[in-house]
Amino acid sequence: MGDPLVGLGGAFLAAGLLARLGRRLGLPTIPFFMAAGIIFGPHTPGIVLVDDAHDLELLAALGLILLLFHLGLEFSLGDLVSGGRRLLAAGTIYLGLNVGGGLVFGLALGWGTREALVIAGAVGISSSAIVTKLLIELRRLANPESRLILGIIVVEDIFLALYLALLAPVLGQAQGAGETLAVFGRAFAFLVLLALVARYGARWAGKLVGSGDDELLTVLFIGLAVLVAGVAENLGVSDAIGALMVGLILAESPVAARIQTLVLPIRDAFAAIFFFAFGLTIDPVDVVEVAGPVAGAVALSLGLNLLAGLIASRLHGFGRRASANVGLTILGRGEFSLILATLALGAGLDGRVAPFVGAYVMVLAVAGPVLAAQSGRLSRHLPQKLFGPASQSGLSA
Amino acid sequence: MSPQVNEQELPGIGRRFGMECAEGGSAVVVIHHSGRRDLYVVTPGEEEPDCAVALTDAQARTLGSILSGAYFKPAVVEEMEAVIGALLIDWVTLKEDSPAVGRSIAELEVRPRTNMTVAAIQRGDESIIAPGPDERFEAGDRLVVVGRREDLSGFVRHMVG
Repeated sequence: MGDPLVGLGGAFLAAGLLARLGRRLGLPTIPFFMAAGIIFGPHTPGIVLVDDAHDLELLAALGLILLLFHLGLEFSLGDLVSGGRRLLAAGTIYLGLNVGGGLVFGLALGWGTREALVIAGAVGISSSAIVTKLLIELRRLANPESRLILGIIVVEDIFLALYLALLAPVLGQAQGAGETLAVFGRAFAFLVLLALVARYGARWAGKLVGSGDDELLTVLFIGLAVLVAGVAENLGVSDAIGALMVGLILAESPVAARIQTLVLPIRDAFAAIFFFAFGLTIDPVDVVEVAGPVAGAVALSLGLNLLAGLIASRLHGFGRRASANVGLTILGRGEFSLILATLALGAGLDGRVAPFVGAYVMVLAVAGPVLAAQSGRLSRHLPQKLFGPASQSGLSA
Repeated sequence: MSPQVNEQELPGIGRRFGMECAEGGSAVVVIHHSGRRDLYVVTPGEEEPDCAVALTDAQARTLGSILSGAYFKPAVVEEMEAVIGALLIDWVTLKEDSPAVGRSIAELEVRPRTNMTVAAIQRGDESIIAPGPDERFEAGDRLVVVGRREDLSGFVRHMVG
């Protein structure tokens, strides 16, 4: 038992220390957790903390489950409705451009259709964790365009949920049309059941896990989330979507606020292991092989993000600086891209997908915040004529 | 005429309140769901705020009372709230999902954990004065609490959630 513990403890420490270094530079933690996995993994010389990513499989899965459980818990359809149609429009335009562009790019790579679907999601969906943290740290919450950014993120979260639900059966190794249909049917029935529970049975679910005692509440909600995730995985729906649905269900229960607080430290710990374990699977040699596609995808995302920022800002009458803020802030990619890449690994897709997504996330998770911090200066290079004369920005109260 | 406050939802974060200031510019307050407050000050003609500070719930309340002119006249703070020197007496109402609901004073370890004392409970028409350690809280209970001002937010977190 000694060696696995040394490996696991080392993984936590290496990930944490490296990420702390990154925080000093104002960078998000996710790329550093992943980098720790690469550096202390089997594919690079030097210390090897964990030989095989499978050794961390269960703990990494727990990290993934808690990430999506928390996303479901924080889901705010109400926020979106109150945000109105323009937020929805901005989010839809953003997704249309980025996921659509990602799909075309994925197909152009010629790695396969299922691979292209994973790449479309990984390239198209921003990291809500990185974006939200960035807005707070850059002290831009008061800016008028920040509401737009947060609205786009909410739309992206909802899209991710639907995309995960649809993608899992597609990625499964079903043979022939009949079996594929059966998997789809089963997945669909399971999701409908969970949706019904979310709509009508939240009180009942709250009663099942509810306890006045924080200790018992924690044990029970983790149990429910992991169990449903496992059942979902067995039914071919993917553990990710199962965990997300449990989060959605408990979000409607009276204990939601307490779970939101209690889940955070556990999620943070195991999510770090999830990112570390993903890093373990990455061989830098493979990354060099996909360097071309990664550079292409980064350039594509940068272009499409600026375009989406421009359109969204025109829609809201914002100026050029706000437009750059929108485009560059939501450029951050992180947990969702890696979750999709993990699905690809699990489904045995083309081995180039994981290193491709890993490197792509690494570049954008670092470049996004750096560019966003400089957006004011960078925006001066955008042609003024793209913005109407009336688009005098400036903070209105 | 009272000044116009522009209120907006910030999805996933909380709410944003903006107000024009006397000599142009504006002050913006963001209240996070977590209770954290951000205060931004924008001078006229600037696109981004000149300064921003983050405040805890207790700090924000104190700053608010200074701005409203109540801080140095403690006797008139709020209708229900009284401060005598360092001592504070306040009313707190339990919500349906408050952690304290269904649990007793002893189980909650109210005094050792919050440094505050529940002096009385108003439950409907019934008043329970100086409740014993086995007294269980119910949703809708109004508690009269006594303690130090700085401990109140901890008490509210522990009991009301």
